[in-house]
Amino acid sequence: MLRGAEITLQCMRAEGVDLVFGYPGGAIMPLYDALDGSGIKHILTRHEQGAVFAAEGVARATGKVGVAMATSGPGATNLVTGIADAKMDSVPLVCITGQVRSALIGTDAFQETDVFGLTLSLTKWSRLVKTIEEIPSVIAEGFHWARSGRPGPVVIDIPTDILKAKIEFSGPVKFVPQANPSNGHGQPLFANELVSLLEKAKKPVALVGAGAKLSGAIADLRRLLDHLQIPTFATVHGLGAVPPSASYYLGMVGMHGTMASNMALDETDLLLVFGARLDDRVTGDPSRFSPNAKIVHFEIDPAQLDRVRQCELPIVGDLAETIPATHAVLRGISLPDWSEWRGVACGEERLGLEPRGLAVPTIRFLDELFSRLPENHVVIADVGQHQMWAAQRYRSCLPRGFITSGGLGSMGFALPAAIGVQMSKPDATVLCVSGDGGFQMNIQELATVHRLGLPIKMVIIDNKFLGMVRQWQQLFYQRNYAETDLSDNPDFVAISKAYKIHGQRISEDAMREFPISPETSDELERFLHSPQSELLVFDTAPEANVFPMVPAGASLSEMLLEED
Amino acid sequence: MHIFHIHYRNTQGTLMRIINAASRRALDLPYVKAEANANGHQATLLLEVTPKQIGQLRRDWYAIVDVTEVQVSIAEFETGLGVPHPPISAGDESVRSATA
Repeated sequence: MLRGAEITLQCMRAEGVDLVFGYPGGAIMPLYDALDGSGIKHILTRHEQGAVFAAEGVARATGKVGVAMATSGPGATNLVTGIADAKMDSVPLVCITGQVRSALIGTDAFQETDVFGLTLSLTKWSRLVKTIEEIPSVIAEGFHWARSGRPGPVVIDIPTDILKAKIEFSGPVKFVPQANPSNGHGQPLFANELVSLLEKAKKPVALVGAGAKLSGAIADLRRLLDHLQIPTFATVHGLGAVPPSASYYLGMVGMHGTMASNMALDETDLLLVFGARLDDRVTGDPSRFSPNAKIVHFEIDPAQLDRVRQCELPIVGDLAETIPATHAVLRGISLPDWSEWRGVACGEERLGLEPRGLAVPTIRFLDELFSRLPENHVVIADVGQHQMWAAQRYRSCLPRGFITSGGLGSMGFALPAAIGVQMSKPDATVLCVSGDGGFQMNIQELATVHRLGLPIKMVIIDNKFLGMVRQWQQLFYQRNYAETDLSDNPDFVAISKAYKIHGQRISEDAMREFPISPETSDELERFLHSPQSELLVFDTAPEANVFPMVPAGASLSEMLLEED
Repeated sequence: MHIFHIHYRNTQGTLMRIINAASRRALDLPYVKAEANANGHQATLLLEVTPKQIGQLRRDWYAIVDVTEVQVSIAEFETGLGVPHPPISAGDESVRSATA
């Protein structure tokens, strides 16, 4: 006879889970009681939001399902932001929540919330477990949906009496999904139309999103793009999918994308989209998005097609299958000569734009850090100006080398996510880049970093403002800096010391020299290669802004390159 | 007004997810009926929607794990929306135009 808690853990183990993040509490105590000897390592974070972001870190860094646990009521509600984050960014995540006793459900019992109802619109799939007998099938199905197709978050809510009950357990089960009629691909149909579109195209481009990585199609995609040799750019989640050294690669596209990318996207007459959902941060004003383009959309999730703009040719299916199939077709034909277009789109006039203004020291600081990263690294960026600067300056061909909260834009994501990344990639150099606002949203996880002895390298770009909001206030709200001033920030170095983590400051003056001084260089080297966790606070100008910038509601052709 | 028939497996929360696709767009729900049928369950919703929202709703409903089929019975007749799902990889442009 096994308890429901033991069955739950055995079924999770059968799904490949060996690491979970969580925070105990009343309703989930039976599960915690059964952890010892389960083969699953539990990491205690200092807040449930830290747990769910850390689980996301594991999932984003490895592609495995990340798992977070929390108790009922406030424990479960504290997971909600992370669940929404995983939904937006297609992160495979399973959240196990304890629930009040079955008999108390619906009575507004102590620490009772309807977590199932709360998360219905945020989850790909969820269950409130009703009997101990259904635990194995629910766990199997939950993990299946979390990782299958377009990955996403799953919530499994288990009443505490079911975790405590006992039955004879015959072992984990496998879930076999019923076939939906929505899995047809129409593969033979797309080839002729795709060839026809390519043959007519004068200015084709390729846009690469997270889907290309999630499908494991990176090698196939790179071969196809090398064959096509068309100007190519990436969303923030597509960074690393295409080697920055590729002659046709233009960098990041969208609101803070490169001038070259946005101009090419605006001018193109044929847009090949690989696993991106074309959200508003990429398209700008949808009604003026790529006005002359026909769109070919490679996408696993039909729900993402035509969401913003009708596509002429949807190619539905796993990119790991559709990209090689496309390449096979295109190898057999003679493609037009697009060298003139490529010369324009990839020309020095567009690509050679150097950063200007007050942001230069920060950008140089990030350049200096990134250039010193070993090959085995992961950069995790929080949300805000520093995120966009980091995305703009990140140069790597590691598909999972740059992690950030892109769709939801959850401040406070980076530090706990970095914990998950470092736990799942112990040998990697993990660089966590935050702003002074976001860092304080999950600053308590410094305790987790210290307890685990994780050698995470944490950077705070400290401009003593909620910088991105301040930038918008400056540019679009007549400099009315309403409630964005953080000039009374705490002493982050002193705080890190209190958590027994070494911290130091570096002034932006150190980045005004070029090349930087040997002393500064040594400091950065020591920081990155230290065997222990380190915090580096970079003091920067409050008025530094991120450019280029496409104002909200503007078209890509209306990007601002500098303030005036 | 358009009538939508959504066929689904009657698992926990599936009906709520179906309705939520409409309610998250602040659409009024003057009529909702859910019932068992020969192949599972069917929800019938009466909604005032734009052609663009029809496409969005169809895609959202099909993204629900246990939804098996979506029909826009009267609307399809009125507007000519005969969109297969998922969209076939090369199809008649006219039938897709209103789904954007």
